[in-house]
Amino acid sequence: MAAPSHPSGPAAASPGQAPAPEALSSEPLDIVGLLGGAHHPGAGAVVLFSGEVRDNNQGRAVSSLEYEAYAPLATSMIAEILATARQRWSLQTAVAQHRTGRVAVGDTAVVVITASAHRSEAYAANRYIIDRIKHEAPIWKCEHYADGTKEWGNNCNCHTVTGDVNKHIYETGG
Amino acid sequence: MKIHVYAGLKDYFQPEFEVSGLVRNTDELKALLLTINDKAGAILSSCRFAVEEGFIDNAFKLNENDTIVIIPPSSGG
Repeated sequence: MAAPSHPSGPAAASPGQAPAPEALSSEPLDIVGLLGGAHHPGAGAVVLFSGEVRDNNQGRAVSSLEYEAYAPLATSMIAEILATARQRWSLQTAVAQHRTGRVAVGDTAVVVITASAHRSEAYAANRYIIDRIKHEAPIWKCEHYADGTKEWGNNCNCHTVTGDVNKHIYETGG
Repeated sequence: MKIHVYAGLKDYFQPEFEVSGLVRNTDELKALLLTINDKAGAILSSCRFAVEEGFIDNAFKLNENDTIVIIPPSSGG
């Protein structure tokens, strides 16, 4: 690799659609507002995934999660993931927003919304987007436990199988 | 050469610091970082590296004026 490999820039919103939300937010995510902006007259299916903070992890009580991101790269990567999904599944809408900072139990950490003519494409694209964000975007979570301890964890460990930090398990199946 | 680290790497290094000396690629940078903290080998082997907001690999020639971001495995969602 002779030069840094840059993800492509953000894609423009389709005509008549709400502007794309910022990929990262330090404020609580407005799921209702995001869903309201996702409807499209050509879409018969809208799928919304909300990743929420669970009160336990591996048998330990969790009080909150704290998210950190390398914002410039996370933003451009999420834009590239959304653009790829839009093209691959001919989506009318593809949006994603991820929290940074402290997120309480029960609150939303990440939301992905896809809209397409039929549900199969919207479901498949939504799964693709959240999988790639979780595996590839430079975003990390720190578990804050009820006993006062904290731990960075639940990292993508695909490299232990693929032998390449840039290759993930879902990519090996073609 | 400026180094920025994130997440679990901050258990091993300061969030931002500088290194000096002959560091031509990411393998040499990893070796240098291990002289700072020899317990960081496992996590460094799983990290990606970025310069100017783009990923690099070991073939990328590092410059002493570069700012290098070291990116642990993702854990978003």
